[in-house]
Amino acid sequence: MASLTMYPEDERLSGGNRAAFNLYIVTAVILFVLMMLVGLTMRMTQARWLDVPPDLFYELLSMHGAGMVGTMSLATTAVMWFFLRKYVHLHLWAFLANYVLFLLGALCIIVSIFVYGYGALWTFLYPLPVHGVGMWTADSSALFMLGYLLIGVGSLLFYLDAAAAIIKVHGNLGRALGLQWLFGGKIDPDHPKAVVASTMVIIANSLGILAGAVVLVMSLVNIFYPQVVLNALVAKNLIYWFGHMYINATIYMGVIAIYELLPRYTGKPYPISRPFLWSWAVSTVFVVVVFPHHLLMDFAQPRWLAIMGQIVSWGAGFPVFLVTAYGALTNIYRSNIRWTMPSRLMILSMFGWAAGIVPAILDGTIRINSVMHNTQWVPGHFHFYILLGVLAMALSLMFHEIGSRAHAAPDSRADRLGFPVYLIGGLIFVFGFLDGGRVSVPRRMAEHLQAWTFSDRIGSIGAILVVLAMLYFAIRITVGLLKPPSPSWAPEPVPGPIPEPVPSPLVSPAPSPGVVGVGTTNAAG
Amino acid sequence: MSVLRTLLASLLILAAGIAVLAATTDGFRAFTSETARRIDVREHPRVLPPVPLQTAQGRIIDFPALRGRWLLVDFIYTRCMTFCSVQGTEFGQLQRRLARPIEAGRVVLVSVSFDPSRDGVAQLAAYQQRSGDRGTGWLAVRPTNPSDLDTLMRVFGVTAIRDGLGGYVHNAAIAVVDPHGRLVAITDWDAPREAEHYVLRGQVQ
Amino acid sequence: MVLQMLVQIPLLALAGWWLAPLLTRRIVDTFSTWNRSGISGILLASLVAVVWMLPRALDAALETSWVALAKFTSVPLLVGMPLAISWPRAGFVVRGVWLVEAIAMAFRLGWLYTVSPARLCSNYLLGDQRQTGKVMLAIGVAACLLLAWKLVWGHNRIERVR
Repeated sequence: MASLTMYPEDERLSGGNRAAFNLYIVTAVILFVLMMLVGLTMRMTQARWLDVPPDLFYELLSMHGAGMVGTMSLATTAVMWFFLRKYVHLHLWAFLANYVLFLLGALCIIVSIFVYGYGALWTFLYPLPVHGVGMWTADSSALFMLGYLLIGVGSLLFYLDAAAAIIKVHGNLGRALGLQWLFGGKIDPDHPKAVVASTMVIIANSLGILAGAVVLVMSLVNIFYPQVVLNALVAKNLIYWFGHMYINATIYMGVIAIYELLPRYTGKPYPISRPFLWSWAVSTVFVVVVFPHHLLMDFAQPRWLAIMGQIVSWGAGFPVFLVTAYGALTNIYRSNIRWTMPSRLMILSMFGWAAGIVPAILDGTIRINSVMHNTQWVPGHFHFYILLGVLAMALSLMFHEIGSRAHAAPDSRADRLGFPVYLIGGLIFVFGFLDGGRVSVPRRMAEHLQAWTFSDRIGSIGAILVVLAMLYFAIRITVGLLKPPSPSWAPEPVPGPIPEPVPSPLVSPAPSPGVVGVGTTNAAG
Repeated sequence: MSVLRTLLASLLILAAGIAVLAATTDGFRAFTSETARRIDVREHPRVLPPVPLQTAQGRIIDFPALRGRWLLVDFIYTRCMTFCSVQGTEFGQLQRRLARPIEAGRVVLVSVSFDPSRDGVAQLAAYQQRSGDRGTGWLAVRPTNPSDLDTLMRVFGVTAIRDGLGGYVHNAAIAVVDPHGRLVAITDWDAPREAEHYVLRGQVQ
Repeated sequence: MVLQMLVQIPLLALAGWWLAPLLTRRIVDTFSTWNRSGISGILLASLVAVVWMLPRALDAALETSWVALAKFTSVPLLVGMPLAISWPRAGFVVRGVWLVEAIAMAFRLGWLYTVSPARLCSNYLLGDQRQTGKVMLAIGVAACLLLAWKLVWGHNRIERVR
């Protein structure tokens, strides 16, 4: 069971671990602000408050998509690493290799977009990358895909190292998921939820990365040898399988922070349970087969795939609602939860995730999708649970960690202002999209008709608020992480053994080694 | 120490591997033997061997005798029941489109049978007739012994394998021979305009 | 084509693997400092294997005798043997990366061979090529399932030879 100690010793970051974690988080928050500014530029262009030429708009859209997904993965990988390393032995080289490969890949992507004009979006949908009609060359697309390959290899290295570590402790991934307890048996109360969640992500995302490796290389082959023509529908299925799993993995990595941290802030234990194990086992399967909900409008698609996509989209809601959201609520209920930044962000994330998947489930229904597909409803739904769900989860760990440096949960006046700005701005921003979808404003359009600009302008205002809040968070977190732990920091006193009776002066006992008195602090503290 | 050594060894192996791959693919251009054949012919034109060839009229000629003109050569077998039977009608159409250069003595079409044991003089004549032969400028020929056949197939890079239905599958193409008797290009069998281009432009692309 | 690519060549590699114990301990140890975690050996084996995946290499092996000889010597000696001495040294991550890439390669080649309208090898029929593609896709799926089964439900020892 996750510790109730606010800042346990086994989470302490020092030396290489601290440097690596800082690199991850500081890079992530900087990239988040930059990507948000890119997004804001687009929203304001659609609102006709800015005048960005269409080809630049699609470069920005490509950057925003690839950049946000990649950065979210970076941040939540740090979340997974931060907690998993307590339970299994992760190698720092794997964690750093992922970071380095991410940066190299990001560099390829940025160059392909802003130097060579790539604008075929983060989905690189075949055969669009080779039909740039003068806006981008096939070579720029090749560079973009190389960037993806590098990032994928980085993630794979991290997941393989984690898999090895988990298998060393638990024997196999099935036992790590707790499958042996699904139908009975006494569940080990100390089986870490972080291990269950990490195992699910490793299994699902490795498959997704495999799909990506296949379709990226085949797309590259088509770029350099155009006589090799791919089946566009097969390519699209693989691309969405890869992309869907990659972004979903970020949510499932991020939620580890909730499982680990929430009980500390409520003061109530959050034990593992059979419904929990069922939820994660079922989610492992669901997340792998749900991707056809991205292809509901491809009428050449085999029918059974589309039906499976809808059914699983509906089914996927249950584990989220019934276990994590409900579980979190029961944990908060009648607890003395201390409302500080980490706890606020955690509760926000539960709302963001649970509320956010409602429009998702709606859109995953074929009849509704036939109307909503390609409207702004789609970015509405995923910005909801990514901005107010996953990002909030990652931020909660970041705030928690800066709290551990100061040994007090952050709750300054500026924090207490930043949070509602983020929340309200986020809601306004998201509802700008959802309302646009309601009136069928098409998505991915650089130029909007005057009639569509109302929801664009609402969205832009919301986005401005989000950017301001995020900018503040980024500075706060960066400064907080780079601050060395305060020297007077002492771990919470651990009750020591009952003191030895004072020896009588009439007897001179030999001093026994290893006597520990009460209140001795750990010298390394 | 072993980390650095392994890194060095790996980099060397990678460099060597890429070099070998580059060499075996003519600089990453040719992954198939067909592409390799075409690149090689373009970069190193091949002189045709003076192998005796029997025409559909029974005369014996050879490639050196045909110098002074562009030659468009394809390899056939007259019993083909599948798509390569279209090669005949294609050459017939090519003969029609190139009527002026043929008349001016600038080009000759040559169809060589790679199945001479079954394609005799009569079969060659029948093949030309059913393909719409106009009578001039197109020779259907057969090598007169197996070793000559091997030489021809080697020089032109022709591979023929049994198709399991009693016929052959071969890398059909139109070979372009310049007036000096050198094989200079190989073009797609189903894109005769490409081959025409050489003749009409009068030069190697 | 299935026989040549997917039976003969893997068997040649396997022969090399089985011959590996013939290498004396001294030879293996000399290599081992240059072969940490088996990376160099696996890289060598992979690159040589890629050469023999080229359609023109397969054609040449059927048409030219020295190329055929090269195939029969290089696959056992430069693919099978290096793999045999490197695999035990490779940790979970190295093995994992290699296996994922190998499975991805099976899917890529399988896809290519099933859809290519042109014959990639002059010595094989189009039907052979399509069939080889389908078999490769099946091999990829089977390998994936096997690997997943082993990792999720099997007994795994994460140890290696030092």
